[in-house]
Amino acid sequence: MSTEDDITYDRSMLGVEHHIGSFPISREMILEFAVSTAETHPLYSDEEQAKASEYGGLIAPPTFCNIFVDGLRRPDIKLEFGDVGLFASQAIENVSPIRPGDTLEARTRLQDVYSKTGRSGKMVFVVWETSFTNQQGETVVLVRDSFIRRNRPE
Amino acid sequence: MNDELYYEDIEIGDEIDTVERSVSLEQVRAFLAIRGGLSGPSRFTDDAFARSEGLPGAIVPGAMNSAMMAQLLTGWSPTVTLKKMEVVFRRVVPHNSPLEIKGVVTSKDVVDDEPQINCDVFLESEEGAVHVIGHATVVLPMHAPAD
Repeated sequence: MSTEDDITYDRSMLGVEHHIGSFPISREMILEFAVSTAETHPLYSDEEQAKASEYGGLIAPPTFCNIFVDGLRRPDIKLEFGDVGLFASQAIENVSPIRPGDTLEARTRLQDVYSKTGRSGKMVFVVWETSFTNQQGETVVLVRDSFIRRNRPE
Repeated sequence: MNDELYYEDIEIGDEIDTVERSVSLEQVRAFLAIRGGLSGPSRFTDDAFARSEGLPGAIVPGAMNSAMMAQLLTGWSPTVTLKKMEVVFRRVVPHNSPLEIKGVVTSKDVVDDEPQINCDVFLESEEGAVHVIGHATVVLPMHAPAD
């Protein structure tokens, strides 16, 4: 554990890659994602129309991998600050399409931990980079997520 | 959705057709269920729990907001491929709140032979309060060169 800029966390986690799961992708998951987000694009929601596309079938929507990158699967960095966490920002890069039948391997690494002080007081930002590869070893999606940790308002 | 758009059809300052959405508790539950659901009350499904965390009530997961921002772009035209998107969550999004998702073209360029369009994107309330802001890069095909 170390303290830097008044932030105490397990600094040995910085930059270290962690395998956070294997995720088999089914057509049902893609269709349920489409229904819950009111997605109507045929590539992501209509198997028959998707068959006639250049992809030859259903593919996952661009932010589909978000369902796998919740904080519960990330390693504990033992951050000693705040009692409320919020999603601050996200960057997604789509490299290759995700199809039903794929199995994705997710690997994440802690990229940065830093603090800022705003109107509501001190906030600590925790930034993770996660890559998803398919069963051929191809990178399909890269995600960078930033979370805010702050103290609960009194 | 528009007809098939090509790189040459797009000009800086072009606005993307606004998408209107409102997210219900049922949609949030269905979204969370894809990854196995929740074992107890959460800020996404329970007003009292959300208030205990200082939030105004149950909120829409950021991942669903990202999905709606992406739909603005992929729904623009069947020829659009969303390459990159970066969003910042400025305000939480409550359930059943009328939302407007908007975008505007800020630049265009051919990068490594890939025709790219850059856009600013916004998720706003009906009153114009910005909840999510970001930018994105989409790829569009080019018209085939004339013989």
